[in-house]
Amino acid sequence: MVLKAIAFVALLSIALAAASGCEATSTSRLQSVEVKEYQGEKLSSINDFRENSIKGPQYVDIKNYRLKIFGLVENPKEYTYGEVVDNHQSYEKVVQLDCVEGWSVAILWEGLLVKDLLAAAKVKPEAKVAIFHAYDGYTTSLPLDYIMNNNILMAYKMNGVTLPPERGFPFELVAESKWGYKWEKWVTQIELSNDVNYRGYWESRGYSNSADLNEDFFEK
Amino acid sequence: MKNILKENPAKQVVHWSLLAMLVLYVLTGFGITAYRTVEFLTFGLLTKPLAFKIHDDLIIPFVVLIGLHIYQQIKKSSEE
Repeated sequence: MVLKAIAFVALLSIALAAASGCEATSTSRLQSVEVKEYQGEKLSSINDFRENSIKGPQYVDIKNYRLKIFGLVENPKEYTYGEVVDNHQSYEKVVQLDCVEGWSVAILWEGLLVKDLLAAAKVKPEAKVAIFHAYDGYTTSLPLDYIMNNNILMAYKMNGVTLPPERGFPFELVAESKWGYKWEKWVTQIELSNDVNYRGYWESRGYSNSADLNEDFFEK
Repeated sequence: MKNILKENPAKQVVHWSLLAMLVLYVLTGFGITAYRTVEFLTFGLLTKPLAFKIHDDLIIPFVVLIGLHIYQQIKKSSEE
């Protein structure tokens, strides 16, 4: 009887050890850690941004989130967050954001090309401008030629970390070589238009529509 | 304590203009960095683009007034 009990305890110990061993080899996902340097280039931190959005940080409910592409397209599209992130080739690039307020940040952005999204929607030839609508009502526009010729990203990660709500989760436009007001956060809709005179939120308040970094951001 | 109202008018203009400019400089600075609050407090009068324009345009008058202020003080010191 004692021998049976010892054998039972021994078997139980082996089984428990095996089970815990299995647990130790399974993979648990940990939170991402911000990348501080990329290919020898020192990066700014996610926390180096100043909050200057028109209505404060937006907290988008990702379960109900849809990215709509409409306007002058043959196939209007509507994607969930997962469809945008998982079904498109991802790219990464270090790009500096220069704000009109005088500060700047160099960040490793990861996302998809806006032109890949637009290609799926089949943009009509008469479309000249992409108007980006945000969750907080902010809008801005960029010429289609600029988007197509410069591989403009729509980012979902910065410095290796998923965009925090304060930085534009789920998507922020990486409008390189443009002033910061073209880097729209919380993108929800992309409208294709032929209205080359369309002016977004700050542009309709006197900021330059081209927003080129080598020019003054105020319209002369 | 010296009564600044008894100073000559030119000095007074410089002093008060410099003070007003300092206040305006700080206010428009906040009108850029904390524009939502400033727009609310000024009932929408001081918008961010307007704050930018005023802040930028003030730089030359500000430097001129500081120069005049320093000049007046040096002149006063040498007279005493």
